[in-house]
Amino acid sequence: MSDSVRITLSVNGSGHVVDVTPRRLLSDVLREDLGLTGTHVGCEHGVCGACTILIDGRPARACITFAIQMERHEVTTIEAVARDDVYSPLQQAMHEEHGLQCGFCTPGIIMTFEAYLRDNPDPSETDIRDVLSGNLCRCTGYQGIVAAVVKAAADLRRRP
Amino acid sequence: MKAPTDTFTQIGRALPRREDRRFLTGQGQYLDDMAIAGALHATFLRSPHAHARIVSIAIEAAAALPGVVKVVTGHDLAAWTTVLQMAPPIDGLAPTAMPAMPINKVRFQGDIVACVIARDRYLAEDAIEAIEVDYEILPAITDLPSAFAAGAALVDDAVPGNLLAHQSFAAGDVAGGMRAAHAIVESSFSQQRQTHLPLETRGCAAIWNDGRQHLTLHIGNQAPHPLRTQLARRLSLSESQVTVICPDVGGAFGQKIVLYREELIVAAMARHLRRPVRWREDRMENLQAACHAREATCRTRAAVAKDGRILALELDISEDFGAYSFFPGNYIARVVALILTGPYRISDYSYEIRVAMTNKCGAGPMRAPMAMTSWVMDGTLDAIARRLGIDRLAVRQINMLQPGEFPYTMATGEVVDDITPTQTLAAVAESIDYAGLAARRKEAETRARFRGIGLCSVVESTTYGSRFYKEAGIAGSGHEAAWVRIEPSGAVNASVGLMGAGQGYETSLAQAVAEGLGVDAEVVRINLGNTDVSPYGMGTRGARGATAGGGALYLCARKAQDQVLRIAAHLLALNSAVDLRLTGAKVQRLIDGAWSETGVALADVARISYLDPTALPEGIPPGLDFSLTYDPPPMTYSNSAHACEVEVDPQTGRIEILRYVVAEDCGTVLNPIVVAGQQRGAIAMGLSGSLLEQVYYDESGQNLSSTLADYLVATACELPNFEILPMHTPNRRTPVGIKGMAEGGVMGAIGALTSAVNDALAPFGVTADKLPLTPPYIRSLLRGRI
Amino acid sequence: MKPAEFTYHRPRTVTDALGLLATLGDDVKLLAGGQSLGPMMNLRVARPSHVIDINDLSDLDSVNVHLDRIEIGSLVRHHRLATDPQIAATCPILSAAAASIGHYAIRQRGTIGGSMAHADPAAQLPLIAVLLDAGIRIGSRNGSRTVDAQSFFVSSLVTDLAEDELITSIEFPVFSGQSGWGIEVFAQRQGDFAIVSVAATVERSAAGVVKSLRLALGGTGVVPIRLTDAELAAVGRAPDHALTEEISSIAAAAVTADDDARIPVAYRRELAATLTGRVFAAALQRAEGASVR
Repeated sequence: MSDSVRITLSVNGSGHVVDVTPRRLLSDVLREDLGLTGTHVGCEHGVCGACTILIDGRPARACITFAIQMERHEVTTIEAVARDDVYSPLQQAMHEEHGLQCGFCTPGIIMTFEAYLRDNPDPSETDIRDVLSGNLCRCTGYQGIVAAVVKAAADLRRRP
Repeated sequence: MKAPTDTFTQIGRALPRREDRRFLTGQGQYLDDMAIAGALHATFLRSPHAHARIVSIAIEAAAALPGVVKVVTGHDLAAWTTVLQMAPPIDGLAPTAMPAMPINKVRFQGDIVACVIARDRYLAEDAIEAIEVDYEILPAITDLPSAFAAGAALVDDAVPGNLLAHQSFAAGDVAGGMRAAHAIVESSFSQQRQTHLPLETRGCAAIWNDGRQHLTLHIGNQAPHPLRTQLARRLSLSESQVTVICPDVGGAFGQKIVLYREELIVAAMARHLRRPVRWREDRMENLQAACHAREATCRTRAAVAKDGRILALELDISEDFGAYSFFPGNYIARVVALILTGPYRISDYSYEIRVAMTNKCGAGPMRAPMAMTSWVMDGTLDAIARRLGIDRLAVRQINMLQPGEFPYTMATGEVVDDITPTQTLAAVAESIDYAGLAARRKEAETRARFRGIGLCSVVESTTYGSRFYKEAGIAGSGHEAAWVRIEPSGAVNASVGLMGAGQGYETSLAQAVAEGLGVDAEVVRINLGNTDVSPYGMGTRGARGATAGGGALYLCARKAQDQVLRIAAHLLALNSAVDLRLTGAKVQRLIDGAWSETGVALADVARISYLDPTALPEGIPPGLDFSLTYDPPPMTYSNSAHACEVEVDPQTGRIEILRYVVAEDCGTVLNPIVVAGQQRGAIAMGLSGSLLEQVYYDESGQNLSSTLADYLVATACELPNFEILPMHTPNRRTPVGIKGMAEGGVMGAIGALTSAVNDALAPFGVTADKLPLTPPYIRSLLRGRI
Repeated sequence: MKPAEFTYHRPRTVTDALGLLATLGDDVKLLAGGQSLGPMMNLRVARPSHVIDINDLSDLDSVNVHLDRIEIGSLVRHHRLATDPQIAATCPILSAAAASIGHYAIRQRGTIGGSMAHADPAAQLPLIAVLLDAGIRIGSRNGSRTVDAQSFFVSSLVTDLAEDELITSIEFPVFSGQSGWGIEVFAQRQGDFAIVSVAATVERSAAGVVKSLRLALGGTGVVPIRLTDAELAAVGRAPDHALTEEISSIAAAAVTADDDARIPVAYRRELAATLTGRVFAAALQRAEGASVR
C-alpha cells in the first residue's frame, strides 16, 4: 500500500499542506481535504466538465488530475471567482439570463469561460457553443448559458 | 379581498431566481458537499452478467482489507429489511416483490451482489475487487420477442411469460370505423431505451442516532414524504423514527422519486453499524443501474375518410420494463394510451398494452413518461397525409378540436378544457413560415441538402388529482399540502411537500405565497425537502409543481390573509374586513372606490398575534400559523404546438436543426423566467433523446453505454436556440389559472423533429420510424435510393 | 470509479525520466496531459504500478521551425498546436486538426506526444502524422531514434515504443506554397472521437492537374492509414468528378473496421467515400488559392 505523501497545494492564492496518496484525485482533495465543494464531480472520466477548474489559469478537469501533480502549480476554483462579494460579469450574466437551473454543472461552465473570455474577448455564438460543448448541462438546453456568455463578453469589453 | 381574476402583482413577475447566488458562487450544498464526521462509504459489487444464479459469494478476503468495516450480501440484508411488494389492485398487472439485495439470482448487468462499507471510497473499490462470486449463467432476455417466446426463461419467477402488464380498452365503434374507411393507414413508432442522466448521480447519507432510535436520511429526492413512508416500512420503523432531508439536488428528471435498493441498504447499514454511512453513485453505476426509461413501440391503425378525417383509431403499445418493477408496470404505457388523441376529435378508439420484463435495468418515469404520445399521434397524421397526398397542416386542422368544442371528453373519458390547439398550431406555422418552405427547400437542394418542416401538437397531462389515481386503481393521491407562517416580525416562511431539482421553486413558489398573502415575494422564504419541516405532500412528479404546490401555497396564503385582515379590521375598529386588503405587507381600505392606506402593516398584526394576543378579536387564536391541503382537479392539461425546420445531409445522414419554434399555452405562469427555462430544458431533452441518446445492450445483456463517451447526450453544438411564443389561457378550475408545464416540451420535440426529418426525406420515399435519428440510421434508410 | 494504487514519480529532466523508465520495469505509464490515461485509470482499465509524471520536462515543450520541417516537442499541448501562429503558418492542417480535438479544457492539457503514444485509431494527430510522414523522435537511456509515423502505429493503442522509451518530439514537413489541405472529422457530437476522419494535402501543377496527393484515413481500422493507391492514381490527372469518385471508392474499400454496436461497417465505408470527396475538394480549393491556407 502506497504511503501518503505530504504536499503543498496552492489553491485560490493560499497554500495548503495536505497528506495524499498518489491516487487521490484533485477533485476529491479539493472537496474533502480543503472543503472547496464548489467543484462538482459528475462523471469521473473527464467528459461532463462539471469539475472544471483552472490550473495555472487554464481550464482542466479536476477529476482526471491527481492532486499530487499540482505541487508547484496554481489551482483556481469557483470559490475564487466572485471578488469581495461581487459577482464576476459572467456570474452576473448567468443570473440575469437564467443560465442555470439545478446548478450542478454551473461551476465548471463558469471556470471554463472565465478563462476563455480572458483570451477571447469577442467570441461569436458559434465559438461559444463550441467551447461550451465540453460542459454537459441537462437542465437548460444551453440557450441561457450562451446568452450569458455573449452578455458577459460585451460587459468585459466595456471595462477598462 | 380581491378575486383571483384581478391583475396579479406577484404571480407572473419576471423575478430572477433567488437560489442562483449559492450555485453561482460554489456554495450550493449538494449531498456530497455535506461533511459528516466519521461517515463510512458504501460501495456495491455489481453483477457482470445479465442473468445468473448466485452459487456462492466469498467475502472474507475483501473483509480483511485495510479500511474495510463490513461486507454484506443479500442474506444479511434480508434480516434487516422487508420486501417491496408491488401489487396495486390493477387489472392485468402481475404482482411482484423485491428484496433489498438479490439473494439467489441477479437479473441484469449492474444488479447488486454485495455491499462493502469502508473508510473511504478508494479502499471500498479495492475491496469490491477482492470479493469472489461464483455464478451459474442463465439465458438473458434482452428484447420483447425473446421475452414473449414460448418457453422463455423467466426474468422474475413470479411473472409468467414475462408479461408484467396486459390491458386493453375500446370506446365507440372502432370496427365500424374501419369498415367505413376510405383507407386504413398503419404506422409504427419505436422509441429507444434512454436514461435520465442528472448531472448529479444518485446518493445518500444515513445517520442512525441510537440513543434516540432515530434515522436521518440525507438524499436528493423529488418526493421526500412518500420516500420516508417507504423507508420506514422497509426498515420496520415508525414514520416518526425517520427524517428525510433533501439538500440541493443536481437534477432528477424522474430518476429520484422512489426508494431504491442502494439507498435502503445504506440506511440499513447505518442502523446496523450505528455509524453514519454515505454512498455516492458513480457515473457508470448511474448509467447501468439507476433507472432507465422509454423503451416502447407503438403501432397505430387509423381508419380515414378521403379528406383525411380519422374515423377510428387503434393503438398497440409494447414496452420493455426491464428486470425490476419500482413502479406499476402498466402505468406509463397507460398514460400514453389515455391521452393519445390529445387535441384531436377521435371518438372511436381502442388500445392494447403489453409490458414485458427483460434482463435490463428496471424502467421508470423520465421527464414526460408519456413522451412518445404526440409523436405517435402527429406521426400517424403525417402518415395519413402522405398516403392521401394531402397537406400535413391541413390533415391536422381537419381533425383538430375547434374552439367551440370545449370542454371535450376524449374517448378514454379524459376531459380537456381551456386549451388552444388551433391557435398554437396556427402561430407556429406562421412563425416558421410553413408556406414558404418550398423556396427554401429548392435553395437547399442546390447544396445537396434536403429540408423539411415538422409540426407537432401536444396536449400535456400535467397535474394528476386524487380522483385520477382512484380511477386508475393506483394507491396514491394527487393532493398537496402547504403551510404558511407569518413570523412575529412580519417575515414569512412557507413550505409545501414538493422538492425541487433546479425548477426555481424558492423563487416561483414564493411568488404564489406572496400573491395569496399580499406581500412582496422577496420577503417570503420557501422551506423544502425536510420531512420534519414540510407538510406531508406527494412531491415533485409530472408537471404538478405549480398547479398542486403553487395552488396549495396560494390558497394557504389566502387563508392567512383572511385572518390578518380580520385582525386589522378589529384594530381599525371596523365591523368587517370586507373592504380591506393586504398589499406590499400593508393593510389598505377601499374608500369611495379607491384603495387608501390604513396605517396598519402586516408587522403590526404579527406583533400583536404573537406578543399581545389579548388584543386580538374574539375567536382569533394567537400566532399566525396556517396550513392547508389542496386536491387539484382529476387532471389538468396544457397544450402547445412545436415546429422545427431541419436540413438533412443525405450523404452522411447528419441532421441539422435550423429553427425551432414553440407556442405553449400553460395558463397563468408564476414566473416567466422559470417557465421559459423549463420549456427550453424540456425541448432540449426531447431533441437530445431523438438525435443521440441510446442505452445499448448486446444480445448477452451487456450494457455497452455505461460511460458518457458511449451514452451520448446533446452538447451545445447539437441544439438550436428555441423561439418561444407565449400564450396564456388560464385554467378555470385551478386556483389562479395555472395549468402546469415542463414535460410537454419533450413530447413536442420528439414529434416535431421526427416530422421534420421525414418531411426532408419525403423525396426519397422513406420514413424514419425508430429513434434515435442517428446519421447511420438515416443513411440506412437512404442506402440505394440516392 | 477511483484509480488503483500506484507509485508516483516526477522527474525534473529528460535524463531522469529515461533513467526511471530504464529501471522501473514494464508496469509503468507516462503521464503527460492525462486526458486518456486519467479516465482509464479511474475506470481501472489501466492500473500501472508506477506513474511517471513528465509535465516538468520543459525541454519537451518547445516548437522549432527549421527550413523544411517543424519540430514539435512531445509535451506541446493541443491548444498551442491550434493557436500558435508559427504552426499555423508552417503546418496549417496540424493546427486545424488540433483545434478539432475533444473540447477546450481537454485541449489545454492533452499533448501531442500523449496522443501519439496512446495511438487511438480515430485520433486526429496520429492521422496527420501518417498523412505527412511525420518523424517520431524517440529517446531512451541508450540513445535516440526516429521512426516514421506509419511504422510507429502498430495497432489500436499499440505503438513501436519500447518500455524504456519516450517520445521527445514529432517532426512535420513545412508546407510548400502550393499545397492545399483539407480535413474532415465526422462524429455524432462535437468533440467525440471520429467515426471516420479523412485528411489530404494536394499540389496542383500550373496546368491544373494534380502534381501530388496525400490522403489518409482514420477511425476505420486499427491504425490510421495512407491511401497510396489513391495518391498514385491522382498524379497527373485532372481533379475532376471521375478522379474524385475513384479516390472515394478506394477510401471506402480501405475500411477494415467491423460492425460495432452503433456503427455498421457499411456506414463507415460510405462516410469514408463521402468525406474523401469533400476533403479532396477543400484541398483543391486551398491549392487553387495558393496562398489560401
